Amino acid sequence: MKGQGLLKGLYITLKRAVGKDITIQYPEQMPYLQDRFRGCLHFDYTKCIVCGLCTKACPNNVLSYESRQVEGSKKKELVSYTIDLQYCLFCNLCVEACPTNTLYFTHDFELSRYQRDQIKIVYEIPKEEPSAVKVDLKGDAPEPDETKKEKQLAAMTAALQKNPQKTVRKMVENDEDAEILAGILLEDEQKLSRMAALMIADREKAKKVAVAFVNKEKKDRLKGGGAEDESK
Amino acid sequence: MEHFFLNIAHSLIVWLMGLGLSSKGADLVLLIVQWICIVAIVTINVIVLIWLERKVAGFMQQRLGPNRLGPAGMFQTIADAIKLLTKEDIIPSAADRIIFRTAPIFFIIIAVMLYVVLPMGDGMQIVDLNVGVFYFISVASLSTICLLMAGWGSNNKWSLLGAMRSVAQMISYEIPLAFSLLGVIMIAGSLSLSDIVAAQNNIWFIILQPVAFITFFIAATAELNRGPFDMPEAEQELTAGAYTEYTGMRWALFFLAEYTNLVAVSALASTMFLGGWHGPWLPSWIWIIIKTYLVMLIFMWMKWTFPRIRMDHLMSFSWKVLIPVTLANILVTGAGIQFLAGMGW
Ligand code: SF4
Ligand code: SF4
Repeated sequence: MKGQGLLKGLYITLKRAVGKDITIQYPEQMPYLQDRFRGCLHFDYTKCIVCGLCTKACPNNVLSYESRQVEGSKKKELVSYTIDLQYCLFCNLCVEACPTNTLYFTHDFELSRYQRDQIKIVYEIPKEEPSAVKVDLKGDAPEPDETKKEKQLAAMTAALQKNPQKTVRKMVENDEDAEILAGILLEDEQKLSRMAALMIADREKAKKVAVAFVNKEKKDRLKGGGAEDESK
Repeated sequence: MEHFFLNIAHSLIVWLMGLGLSSKGADLVLLIVQWICIVAIVTINVIVLIWLERKVAGFMQQRLGPNRLGPAGMFQTIADAIKLLTKEDIIPSAADRIIFRTAPIFFIIIAVMLYVVLPMGDGMQIVDLNVGVFYFISVASLSTICLLMAGWGSNNKWSLLGAMRSVAQMISYEIPLAFSLLGVIMIAGSLSLSDIVAAQNNIWFIILQPVAFITFFIAATAELNRGPFDMPEAEQELTAGAYTEYTGMRWALFFLAEYTNLVAVSALASTMFLGGWHGPWLPSWIWIIIKTYLVMLIFMWMKWTFPRIRMDHLMSFSWKVLIPVTLANILVTGAGIQFLAGMGW
Protein backbone atom coordinates (compact mmCIF):
# COMPACT_ATOMS: atom_id res chain seq x y z
CA MET A 1 0.00 0.00 0.00
CA LYS A 2 1.15 3.53 -0.71
CA GLY A 3 2.29 5.46 2.33
CA GLN A 4 3.37 2.37 4.23
CA GLY A 5 6.98 3.51 4.04
CA LEU A 6 6.07 6.78 5.73
CA LEU A 7 4.55 4.98 8.70
CA LYS A 8 7.53 2.65 8.87
CA GLY A 9 9.87 5.65 8.95
CA LEU A 10 7.85 7.27 11.71
CA TYR A 11 7.92 4.02 13.66
CA ILE A 12 11.70 3.72 13.33
CA THR A 13 12.41 7.26 14.48
CA LEU A 14 10.04 6.80 17.40
CA LYS A 15 11.80 3.60 18.35
CA ARG A 16 15.17 5.36 18.17
CA ALA A 17 13.87 8.30 20.18
CA VAL A 18 12.78 6.18 23.13
CA GLY A 19 15.62 3.67 22.78
CA LYS A 20 19.12 3.86 24.17
CA ASP A 21 21.45 6.56 22.88
CA ILE A 22 24.85 5.64 21.55
CA THR A 23 26.70 8.86 22.37
CA ILE A 24 29.88 8.45 24.42
CA GLN A 25 30.43 11.42 26.69
CA TYR A 26 34.14 11.90 25.97
CA PRO A 27 36.26 12.94 27.90
CA GLU A 28 34.31 11.88 31.01
CA GLN A 29 33.62 8.55 29.39
CA MET A 30 36.37 6.85 27.44
CA PRO A 31 35.56 4.95 24.29
CA TYR A 32 36.13 1.23 24.23
CA LEU A 33 39.14 0.53 22.04
CA GLN A 34 39.93 -2.69 20.26
CA ASP A 35 43.25 -4.36 20.98
CA ARG A 36 44.62 -3.52 17.57
CA PHE A 37 43.84 0.18 17.96
CA ARG A 38 46.87 2.27 16.99
CA GLY A 39 47.29 5.18 19.34
CA CYS A 40 50.59 6.78 20.24
CA LEU A 41 53.71 4.91 19.14
CA HIS A 42 55.64 3.80 22.19
CA PHE A 43 59.30 2.88 22.46
CA ASP A 44 60.23 0.49 25.24
CA TYR A 45 63.90 1.42 25.26
CA THR A 46 65.11 -1.33 27.58
CA LYS A 47 64.54 -3.92 24.89
CA CYS A 48 66.12 -2.15 21.91
CA ILE A 49 69.11 -3.91 20.38
CA VAL A 50 69.94 -1.01 18.04
CA CYS A 51 69.54 -3.04 14.89
CA GLY A 52 68.12 -0.14 12.88
CA LEU A 53 65.44 -2.20 11.18
CA CYS A 54 62.72 0.15 12.30
CA THR A 55 64.31 3.20 10.70
CA LYS A 56 64.71 1.25 7.47
CA ALA A 57 61.11 0.11 7.53
CA CYS A 58 59.61 3.49 8.12
CA PRO A 59 58.39 5.06 4.87
CA ASN A 60 58.29 8.54 6.31
CA ASN A 61 61.54 8.92 8.24
CA VAL A 62 59.73 9.25 11.48
CA LEU A 63 62.22 7.24 13.50
CA SER A 64 65.84 8.07 14.15
CA TYR A 65 68.35 7.10 16.79
CA GLU A 66 71.83 7.86 18.02
CA SER A 67 74.07 5.07 19.15
CA ARG A 68 77.58 4.45 20.31
CA GLN A 69 79.94 1.53 20.42
CA VAL A 70 80.09 -0.32 23.70
CA GLU A 71 83.67 -0.21 24.93
CA GLY A 72 85.55 -3.37 24.29
CA SER A 73 82.79 -4.94 22.30
CA LYS A 74 81.27 -4.92 18.85
CA LYS A 75 77.91 -4.14 20.28
CA LYS A 76 76.19 -0.80 20.02
CA GLU A 77 74.19 0.85 22.69
CA LEU A 78 71.51 3.47 22.41
CA VAL A 79 72.13 7.11 23.28
CA SER A 80 68.81 8.53 22.24
CA TYR A 81 65.80 7.54 20.20
CA THR A 82 63.48 9.98 18.49
CA ILE A 83 59.94 9.48 17.24
CA ASP A 84 58.79 12.49 15.24
CA LEU A 85 55.14 11.60 15.55
CA GLN A 86 53.81 14.38 13.33
CA TYR A 87 54.93 12.51 10.22
CA CYS A 88 53.82 9.10 11.38
CA LEU A 89 51.26 7.29 9.22
CA PHE A 90 50.49 4.74 11.93
CA CYS A 91 51.16 2.12 9.26
CA ASN A 92 52.55 -0.44 11.69
CA LEU A 93 55.56 -1.24 9.46
CA CYS A 94 58.10 -0.39 12.16
CA VAL A 95 56.28 -2.49 14.72
CA GLU A 96 56.33 -5.43 12.35
CA ALA A 97 59.99 -4.92 11.55
CA CYS A 98 61.24 -4.73 15.11
CA PRO A 99 62.61 -8.12 16.17
CA THR A 100 62.35 -7.49 19.91
CA ASN A 101 58.90 -5.88 20.23
CA THR A 102 60.51 -2.68 21.37
CA LEU A 103 58.08 -0.56 19.43
CA TYR A 104 54.36 -0.89 19.94
CA PHE A 105 51.21 1.17 19.74
CA THR A 106 49.53 2.23 22.95
CA HIS A 107 45.87 3.13 23.28
CA ASP A 108 46.67 6.75 24.01
CA PHE A 109 44.95 8.71 21.23
CA GLU A 110 45.04 12.16 22.77
CA LEU A 111 48.01 13.32 20.76
CA SER A 112 47.36 17.04 20.40
CA ARG A 113 49.93 19.36 21.89
CA TYR A 114 50.12 23.06 22.55
CA GLN A 115 53.56 23.54 21.02
CA ARG A 116 54.87 22.16 17.81
CA ASP A 117 58.13 20.93 19.31
CA GLN A 118 56.21 18.90 21.86
CA ILE A 119 55.12 16.53 19.11
CA LYS A 120 58.56 15.00 18.86
CA ILE A 121 59.07 12.23 21.40
CA VAL A 122 62.71 11.91 22.40
CA TYR A 123 63.96 9.09 24.61
CA GLU A 124 67.31 9.99 26.22
CA ILE A 125 68.88 6.80 27.44
CA PRO A 126 70.82 7.20 30.73
CA LYS A 127 74.43 6.19 30.53
CA GLU A 128 74.63 3.34 33.02
CA GLU A 129 71.29 2.02 32.22
CA PRO A 130 71.80 -0.37 29.31
CA SER A 131 74.54 -2.32 31.10
CA ALA A 132 72.51 -2.44 34.30
CA VAL A 133 69.58 -3.79 32.42
CA LYS A 134 71.77 -6.28 30.69
CA VAL A 135 72.93 -7.56 34.05
CA ASP A 136 69.42 -8.02 35.25
CA LEU A 137 67.94 -9.45 32.16
CA LYS A 138 70.58 -12.02 31.44
CA GLY A 139 71.60 -12.64 35.02
CA ASP A 140 75.30 -12.33 34.07
CA ALA A 141 77.90 -12.65 36.79
CA PRO A 142 78.68 -9.25 38.25
CA GLU A 143 81.95 -7.71 37.22
CA PRO A 144 84.47 -7.36 40.04
CA ASP A 145 84.64 -3.58 40.11
CA GLU A 146 80.90 -3.38 40.41
CA THR A 147 80.56 -5.25 43.68
CA LYS A 148 79.54 -2.12 45.52
CA LYS A 149 76.83 -1.43 43.05
CA GLU A 150 75.76 -5.01 43.23
CA LYS A 151 75.39 -4.75 46.97
CA GLN A 152 73.27 -1.70 46.59
CA LEU A 153 71.18 -3.46 44.04
CA ALA A 154 70.67 -6.45 46.29
CA ALA A 155 69.65 -4.19 49.16
CA MET A 156 67.21 -2.34 46.97
CA THR A 157 65.75 -5.53 45.57
CA ALA A 158 65.29 -6.86 49.06
CA ALA A 159 63.61 -3.65 50.14
CA LEU A 160 61.30 -3.77 47.18
CA GLN A 161 60.37 -7.34 47.90
CA LYS A 162 59.85 -6.77 51.59
CA ASN A 163 58.06 -3.47 51.69
CA PRO A 164 57.37 -2.44 48.13
CA GLN A 165 54.70 0.11 48.74
CA LYS A 166 56.82 2.27 51.00
CA THR A 167 59.86 1.94 48.81
CA VAL A 168 58.16 3.15 45.65
CA ARG A 169 55.96 5.72 47.30
CA LYS A 170 58.23 8.62 46.35
CA MET A 171 58.38 7.58 42.73
CA VAL A 172 54.71 8.06 42.01
CA GLU A 173 52.12 10.66 42.72
CA ASN A 174 49.79 9.07 45.24
CA ASP A 175 49.26 6.06 47.47
CA GLU A 176 46.95 4.40 45.04
CA ASP A 177 49.56 4.45 42.29
CA ALA A 178 52.14 3.16 44.71
CA GLU A 179 49.93 0.25 45.51
CA ILE A 180 49.43 -0.54 41.85
CA LEU A 181 53.15 -0.33 41.20
CA ALA A 182 53.93 -2.55 44.17
CA GLY A 183 51.51 -5.11 42.81
CA ILE A 184 53.17 -5.08 39.42
CA LEU A 185 56.64 -5.45 40.88
CA LEU A 186 55.75 -8.30 43.17
CA GLU A 187 54.16 -10.14 40.31
CA ASP A 188 57.04 -9.83 37.89
CA GLU A 189 60.54 -10.49 39.13
CA GLN A 190 62.18 -9.16 36.03
CA LYS A 191 60.42 -5.85 36.39
CA LEU A 192 61.33 -5.72 40.04
CA SER A 193 65.01 -6.16 39.43
CA ARG A 194 64.94 -3.67 36.61
CA MET A 195 63.25 -1.15 38.82
CA ALA A 196 65.75 -1.74 41.58
CA ALA A 197 68.63 -1.13 39.19
CA LEU A 198 67.00 1.98 37.86
CA MET A 199 66.32 3.39 41.28
CA ILE A 200 69.98 3.18 42.11
CA ALA A 201 71.26 4.37 38.78
CA ASP A 202 68.91 7.14 37.85
CA ARG A 203 66.12 8.31 40.07
CA GLU A 204 64.46 10.45 37.42
CA LYS A 205 64.42 7.73 34.83
CA ALA A 206 63.08 5.31 37.39
CA LYS A 207 60.24 7.67 38.14
CA LYS A 208 59.35 7.86 34.48
CA VAL A 209 59.40 4.10 34.12
CA ALA A 210 57.33 3.73 37.27
CA VAL A 211 54.72 6.11 35.97
CA ALA A 212 54.70 4.28 32.64
CA PHE A 213 54.16 0.97 34.41
CA VAL A 214 51.34 2.35 36.46
CA ASN A 215 49.68 3.96 33.50
CA LYS A 216 49.89 0.81 31.45
CA GLU A 217 48.41 -1.20 34.27
CA LYS A 218 45.64 1.34 34.73
CA LYS A 219 44.86 1.28 31.08
CA ASP A 220 44.78 -2.50 31.05
CA ARG A 221 42.39 -2.42 33.94
CA LEU A 222 40.26 0.19 32.24
CA LYS A 223 40.21 -1.93 29.13
CA GLY A 224 39.18 -4.93 31.16
CA GLY A 225 36.45 -2.86 32.77
CA GLY A 226 35.32 -1.56 29.40
CA ALA A 227 35.10 -5.08 28.02
CA GLU A 228 32.99 -6.10 30.96
CA ASP A 229 30.63 -3.18 30.40
CA GLU A 230 30.31 -4.16 26.79
CA SER A 231 29.34 -7.71 27.64
CA LYS A 232 26.71 -6.45 30.02
CA MET B 1 -7.20 28.52 38.60
CA GLU B 2 -9.63 28.43 35.70
CA HIS B 3 -10.15 32.19 35.59
CA PHE B 4 -6.69 33.16 36.82
CA PHE B 5 -5.74 35.32 33.84
CA LEU B 6 -9.25 36.66 33.35
CA ASN B 7 -9.27 37.79 36.97
CA ILE B 8 -5.96 39.56 36.51
CA ALA B 9 -7.32 41.37 33.43
CA HIS B 10 -10.50 42.26 35.24
CA SER B 11 -8.76 43.68 38.29
CA LEU B 12 -6.41 45.62 36.01
CA ILE B 13 -9.39 47.30 34.32
CA VAL B 14 -11.03 48.04 37.66
CA TRP B 15 -7.81 49.53 38.98
CA LEU B 16 -7.35 51.68 35.85
CA MET B 17 -10.92 52.93 35.99
CA GLY B 18 -10.36 53.71 39.64
CA LEU B 19 -7.45 55.91 38.57
CA GLY B 20 -9.94 57.96 36.57
CA LEU B 21 -9.47 56.45 33.11
CA SER B 22 -12.47 56.15 30.81
CA SER B 23 -13.53 52.62 29.92
CA LYS B 24 -12.12 53.06 26.40
CA GLY B 25 -8.75 54.14 27.80
CA ALA B 26 -8.68 51.20 30.18
CA ASP B 27 -9.42 48.84 27.30
CA LEU B 28 -6.58 50.38 25.32
CA VAL B 29 -4.13 49.86 28.18
CA LEU B 30 -5.35 46.30 28.58
CA LEU B 31 -4.80 45.72 24.87
CA ILE B 32 -1.22 46.94 25.16
CA VAL B 33 -0.64 44.67 28.14
CA GLN B 34 -2.08 41.76 26.16
CA TRP B 35 0.26 42.47 23.28
CA ILE B 36 3.24 42.54 25.60
CA CYS B 37 2.09 39.24 27.07
CA ILE B 38 1.81 37.70 23.63
CA VAL B 39 5.29 38.80 22.66
CA ALA B 40 6.61 37.40 25.94
CA ILE B 41 4.78 34.10 25.44
CA VAL B 42 6.11 33.88 21.90
CA THR B 43 9.70 34.51 22.94
CA ILE B 44 9.64 32.05 25.82
CA ASN B 45 7.96 29.48 23.63
CA VAL B 46 10.60 29.87 20.97
CA ILE B 47 13.40 29.41 23.46
CA VAL B 48 11.78 26.25 24.79
CA LEU B 49 10.92 25.02 21.32
CA ILE B 50 14.40 25.36 19.89
CA TRP B 51 15.73 23.39 22.83
CA LEU B 52 12.96 20.82 22.42
CA GLU B 53 13.58 20.50 18.71
CA ARG B 54 17.27 19.87 19.26
CA LYS B 55 16.54 17.32 21.93
CA VAL B 56 13.95 15.54 19.80
CA ALA B 57 16.28 15.54 16.80
CA GLY B 58 19.07 14.19 18.97
CA PHE B 59 16.98 11.41 20.45
CA MET B 60 15.72 10.36 17.04
CA GLN B 61 19.28 10.07 15.83
CA GLN B 62 20.36 8.18 18.95
CA ARG B 63 22.23 11.20 20.23
CA LEU B 64 21.72 13.08 23.46
CA GLY B 65 21.11 16.55 22.08
CA PRO B 66 22.42 19.58 23.96
CA ASN B 67 23.37 18.59 27.51
CA ARG B 68 26.33 20.70 28.59
CA LEU B 69 24.87 24.10 29.35
CA GLY B 70 22.51 24.14 32.30
CA PRO B 71 20.18 21.32 33.30
CA ALA B 72 19.68 19.06 30.25
CA GLY B 73 21.23 21.74 28.04
CA MET B 74 18.37 24.19 28.71
CA PHE B 75 20.59 27.27 28.50
CA GLN B 76 21.98 26.39 25.09
CA THR B 77 19.28 28.40 23.32
CA ILE B 78 19.88 31.39 25.55
CA ALA B 79 23.59 31.24 24.81
CA ASP B 80 22.77 31.08 21.11
CA ALA B 81 20.47 34.06 21.41
CA ILE B 82 23.22 36.07 23.10
CA LYS B 83 25.63 35.05 20.39
CA LEU B 84 23.20 36.16 17.68
CA LEU B 85 22.57 39.47 19.42
CA THR B 86 26.26 40.28 19.52
CA LYS B 87 26.98 39.30 15.94
CA GLU B 88 27.99 41.77 13.30
CA ASP B 89 25.09 43.00 11.20
CA ILE B 90 26.03 42.57 7.57
CA ILE B 91 24.04 44.03 4.71
CA PRO B 92 25.31 43.10 1.24
CA SER B 93 26.38 46.18 -0.68
CA ALA B 94 24.22 45.27 -3.67
CA ALA B 95 21.14 44.59 -1.56
CA ASP B 96 17.99 46.66 -1.71
CA ARG B 97 18.51 48.12 1.73
CA ILE B 98 14.99 49.12 2.68
CA ILE B 99 13.39 45.86 1.58
CA PHE B 100 16.24 43.85 3.06
CA ARG B 101 15.83 45.51 6.43
CA THR B 102 12.06 45.50 6.68
CA ALA B 103 11.47 41.91 5.55
CA PRO B 104 12.30 40.23 8.89
CA ILE B 105 10.40 42.86 10.84
CA PHE B 106 7.23 42.35 8.81
CA PHE B 107 7.70 38.62 9.05
CA ILE B 108 7.68 38.65 12.84
CA ILE B 109 4.85 41.19 13.02
CA ILE B 110 2.67 38.99 10.84
CA ALA B 111 3.55 35.96 12.92
CA VAL B 112 2.52 37.73 16.12
CA MET B 113 -0.69 39.04 14.51
CA LEU B 114 -1.94 35.47 14.26
CA TYR B 115 -2.32 35.28 18.02
CA VAL B 116 -5.04 37.87 18.14
CA VAL B 117 -7.82 35.45 17.32
CA LEU B 118 -6.48 32.29 18.96
CA PRO B 119 -8.52 31.30 22.03
CA MET B 120 -5.94 30.48 24.67
CA GLY B 121 -8.48 29.30 27.18
CA ASP B 122 -12.11 29.69 28.09
CA GLY B 123 -12.86 33.31 27.19
CA MET B 124 -9.15 34.07 26.79
CA GLN B 125 -9.21 35.58 23.34
CA ILE B 126 -7.97 39.06 22.58
CA VAL B 127 -10.49 39.70 19.83
CA ASP B 128 -13.31 37.29 19.06
CA LEU B 129 -13.65 38.01 15.36
CA ASN B 130 -16.68 36.49 13.68
CA VAL B 131 -14.37 35.66 10.74
CA GLY B 132 -11.57 34.31 12.93
CA VAL B 133 -10.55 31.38 10.73
CA PHE B 134 -10.63 33.54 7.64
CA TYR B 135 -8.48 36.16 9.39
CA PHE B 136 -5.99 33.52 10.45
CA ILE B 137 -5.60 32.03 6.99
CA SER B 138 -5.29 35.36 5.22
CA VAL B 139 -2.77 36.79 7.68
CA ALA B 140 -0.74 33.59 7.63
CA SER B 141 -0.48 33.75 3.86
CA LEU B 142 0.95 37.28 4.10
CA SER B 143 4.26 35.86 5.30
CA THR B 144 4.93 34.75 1.72
CA ILE B 145 5.40 38.38 0.79
CA CYS B 146 8.03 38.80 3.49
CA LEU B 147 9.95 35.80 2.22
CA LEU B 148 9.77 37.22 -1.29
CA MET B 149 10.98 40.57 0.06
CA ALA B 150 13.89 38.86 1.79
CA GLY B 151 14.81 36.90 -1.31
CA TRP B 152 14.49 39.85 -3.66
CA GLY B 153 16.16 42.35 -1.37
CA SER B 154 19.20 40.14 -0.79
CA ASN B 155 20.11 40.31 -4.48
CA ASN B 156 21.43 36.78 -4.37
CA LYS B 157 20.39 33.97 -6.65
CA TRP B 158 19.95 31.41 -3.90
CA SER B 159 17.82 33.80 -1.92
CA LEU B 160 15.68 34.59 -4.92
CA LEU B 161 15.28 30.92 -5.81
CA GLY B 162 14.27 30.15 -2.26
CA ALA B 163 11.81 33.01 -2.24
CA MET B 164 10.28 31.98 -5.56
CA ARG B 165 9.89 28.46 -4.32
CA SER B 166 8.25 29.65 -1.15
CA VAL B 167 5.76 31.74 -3.11
CA ALA B 168 4.86 28.85 -5.39
CA GLN B 169 4.60 26.47 -2.48
CA MET B 170 2.58 28.73 -0.24
CA ILE B 171 0.07 29.60 -2.94
CA SER B 172 -0.39 25.93 -3.77
CA TYR B 173 -0.83 24.84 -0.20
CA GLU B 174 -3.00 27.76 0.85
CA ILE B 175 -5.88 26.17 -1.07
CA PRO B 176 -5.94 22.70 0.55
CA LEU B 177 -5.32 24.38 3.92
CA ALA B 178 -8.45 26.49 3.57
CA PHE B 179 -10.44 23.64 2.04
CA SER B 180 -9.57 21.24 4.82
CA LEU B 181 -10.80 23.76 7.38
CA LEU B 182 -14.05 24.23 5.45
CA GLY B 183 -15.43 20.89 6.57
CA VAL B 184 -15.03 21.89 10.19
CA ILE B 185 -16.56 25.28 9.53
CA MET B 186 -19.55 23.68 7.83
CA ILE B 187 -20.22 21.46 10.80
CA ALA B 188 -19.74 24.22 13.35
CA GLY B 189 -21.65 26.68 11.21
CA SER B 190 -19.38 29.56 12.14
CA LEU B 191 -16.07 31.16 11.23
CA SER B 192 -15.48 32.33 14.76
CA LEU B 193 -12.89 30.28 16.59
CA SER B 194 -14.68 30.48 19.92
CA ASP B 195 -17.86 29.15 18.31
CA ILE B 196 -15.91 26.31 16.78
CA VAL B 197 -14.46 25.38 20.17
CA ALA B 198 -17.93 25.57 21.72
CA ALA B 199 -19.25 23.25 18.98
CA GLN B 200 -16.71 20.63 20.10
CA ASN B 201 -18.18 20.36 23.55
CA ASN B 202 -19.40 16.82 22.95
CA ILE B 203 -17.18 15.46 20.22
CA TRP B 204 -13.88 16.62 18.80
CA PHE B 205 -13.79 17.42 15.12
CA ILE B 206 -10.82 15.12 14.55
CA ILE B 207 -13.29 12.24 14.92
CA LEU B 208 -15.84 13.76 12.58
CA GLN B 209 -13.25 15.02 10.09
CA PRO B 210 -10.22 12.69 10.14
CA VAL B 211 -9.39 13.25 6.48
CA ALA B 212 -9.58 17.00 6.92
CA PHE B 213 -7.21 16.76 9.88
CA ILE B 214 -4.61 14.83 7.91
CA THR B 215 -4.78 17.14 4.89
CA PHE B 216 -4.70 20.16 7.19
CA PHE B 217 -1.61 18.77 8.87
CA ILE B 218 0.19 18.21 5.58
CA ALA B 219 -0.77 21.59 4.17
CA ALA B 220 0.20 23.30 7.42
CA THR B 221 3.62 21.68 7.31
CA ALA B 222 4.10 23.18 3.87
CA GLU B 223 2.77 26.54 5.02
CA LEU B 224 5.20 26.56 7.91
CA ASN B 225 8.17 25.78 5.63
CA ARG B 226 9.02 22.88 7.85
CA GLY B 227 10.60 19.62 6.84
CA PRO B 228 9.84 17.62 4.74
CA PHE B 229 8.46 20.64 2.89
CA ASP B 230 11.22 23.13 3.75
CA MET B 231 11.87 24.01 0.12
CA PRO B 232 12.40 27.77 0.66
CA GLU B 233 15.22 27.07 3.05
CA ALA B 234 16.57 23.79 1.65
CA GLU B 235 20.02 24.22 3.13
CA GLN B 236 21.52 21.39 1.09
CA GLU B 237 20.45 22.90 -2.21
CA LEU B 238 20.09 26.65 -1.67
CA THR B 239 22.50 27.23 1.25
CA ALA B 240 19.77 28.85 3.34
CA GLY B 241 17.33 29.97 0.69
CA ALA B 242 15.82 33.34 1.38
CA TYR B 243 17.83 33.67 4.61
CA THR B 244 21.24 33.24 3.01
CA GLU B 245 22.37 36.84 3.30
CA TYR B 246 20.96 37.49 6.76
CA THR B 247 23.14 37.61 9.85
CA GLY B 248 22.78 38.17 13.55
CA MET B 249 19.56 39.56 14.85
CA ARG B 250 17.83 39.87 11.48
CA TRP B 251 18.33 36.20 10.88
CA ALA B 252 17.22 35.48 14.41
CA LEU B 253 13.99 37.36 13.72
CA PHE B 254 13.22 35.00 10.83
CA PHE B 255 13.92 32.07 13.08
CA LEU B 256 11.76 33.51 15.81
CA ALA B 257 8.93 34.09 13.37
CA GLU B 258 9.11 30.55 12.00
CA TYR B 259 8.72 29.08 15.46
CA THR B 260 6.05 31.62 16.30
CA ASN B 261 4.14 30.44 13.24
CA LEU B 262 4.65 26.87 14.35
CA VAL B 263 3.06 27.60 17.72
CA ALA B 264 0.20 29.50 16.10
CA VAL B 265 -0.60 26.79 13.57
CA SER B 266 -0.37 24.08 16.23
CA ALA B 267 -2.71 26.08 18.42
CA LEU B 268 -5.07 26.45 15.46
CA ALA B 269 -4.94 22.70 14.84
CA SER B 270 -5.80 21.96 18.45
CA THR B 271 -8.56 24.57 18.36
CA MET B 272 -10.12 23.34 15.14
CA PHE B 273 -9.73 19.61 15.55
CA LEU B 274 -8.70 18.67 19.08
CA GLY B 275 -11.45 20.35 21.03
CA GLY B 276 -9.59 23.57 21.84
CA TRP B 277 -9.58 24.28 25.53
CA HIS B 278 -12.06 21.55 26.35
CA GLY B 279 -10.76 18.95 28.73
CA PRO B 280 -11.45 17.45 32.11
CA TRP B 281 -9.96 18.45 35.50
CA LEU B 282 -7.28 20.91 34.39
CA PRO B 283 -7.92 24.61 33.68
CA SER B 284 -8.70 25.37 30.05
CA TRP B 285 -5.48 27.26 29.32
CA ILE B 286 -3.39 24.30 30.48
CA TRP B 287 -5.31 22.05 28.13
CA ILE B 288 -4.60 24.26 25.17
CA ILE B 289 -0.88 24.30 26.08
CA ILE B 290 -0.79 20.52 26.33
CA LYS B 291 -2.58 20.03 23.02
CA THR B 292 -0.48 22.61 21.23
CA TYR B 293 2.73 21.01 22.41
CA LEU B 294 1.50 17.59 21.38
CA VAL B 295 0.80 18.84 17.88
CA MET B 296 4.21 20.50 17.76
CA LEU B 297 5.88 17.28 18.81
CA ILE B 298 4.19 15.55 15.89
CA PHE B 299 5.46 18.31 13.59
CA MET B 300 8.99 17.72 14.89
CA TRP B 301 8.61 14.00 14.60
CA MET B 302 7.72 14.37 10.93
CA LYS B 303 10.49 16.84 10.27
CA TRP B 304 13.20 14.57 11.63
CA THR B 305 11.86 11.47 9.94
CA PHE B 306 11.18 12.38 6.34
CA PRO B 307 13.65 13.63 3.74
CA ARG B 308 12.78 16.76 1.82
CA ILE B 309 10.61 16.08 -1.20
CA ARG B 310 11.44 17.37 -4.65
CA MET B 311 10.01 20.69 -5.81
CA ASP B 312 7.92 19.30 -8.69
CA HIS B 313 6.62 16.45 -6.53
CA LEU B 314 5.70 18.99 -3.92
CA MET B 315 3.64 21.00 -6.38
CA SER B 316 1.97 18.05 -8.03
CA PHE B 317 1.17 16.56 -4.62
CA SER B 318 -0.74 19.68 -3.72
CA TRP B 319 -2.61 20.08 -6.99
CA LYS B 320 -3.19 16.44 -7.87
CA VAL B 321 -3.74 14.88 -4.46
CA LEU B 322 -4.48 17.31 -1.68
CA ILE B 323 -6.90 19.61 -3.47
CA PRO B 324 -9.08 16.80 -4.93
CA VAL B 325 -9.10 15.02 -1.57
CA THR B 326 -10.13 18.12 0.33
CA LEU B 327 -12.79 18.94 -2.27
CA ALA B 328 -14.18 15.44 -1.96
CA ASN B 329 -14.14 15.83 1.81
CA ILE B 330 -16.20 19.01 1.54
CA LEU B 331 -18.67 17.25 -0.75
CA VAL B 332 -19.05 14.30 1.62
CA THR B 333 -19.37 16.58 4.64
CA GLY B 334 -22.03 18.70 2.93
CA ALA B 335 -23.96 15.64 1.82
CA GLY B 336 -23.69 14.17 5.31
CA ILE B 337 -24.97 17.36 6.94
CA GLN B 338 -27.92 17.52 4.54
CA PHE B 339 -28.66 13.85 5.06
CA LEU B 340 -28.59 14.11 8.86
CA ALA B 341 -30.68 17.29 8.74
CA GLY B 342 -33.20 15.44 6.59
CA MET B 343 -33.28 12.67 9.17
CA GLY B 344 -34.28 15.30 11.66
CA TRP B 345 -31.01 15.61 13.69
S1 SF4 C 1 53.98 3.50 11.97
FE1 SF4 C 1 54.81 3.66 9.91
S2 SF4 C 1 55.15 5.87 9.64
FE2 SF4 C 1 54.87 5.55 11.82
S3 SF4 C 1 56.93 5.30 12.61
FE3 SF4 C 1 56.18 3.24 12.15
S4 SF4 C 1 56.86 2.81 10.08
FE4 SF4 C 1 57.05 5.02 10.39
S1 SF4 D 1 63.93 -2.42 15.10
FE1 SF4 D 1 63.45 -2.54 17.30
S2 SF4 D 1 65.36 -3.32 18.21
FE2 SF4 D 1 65.86 -2.60 16.16
S3 SF4 D 1 66.56 -0.49 16.46
FE3 SF4 D 1 64.37 -0.40 16.00
S4 SF4 D 1 63.37 -0.44 17.98
FE4 SF4 D 1 65.47 -1.08 18.32
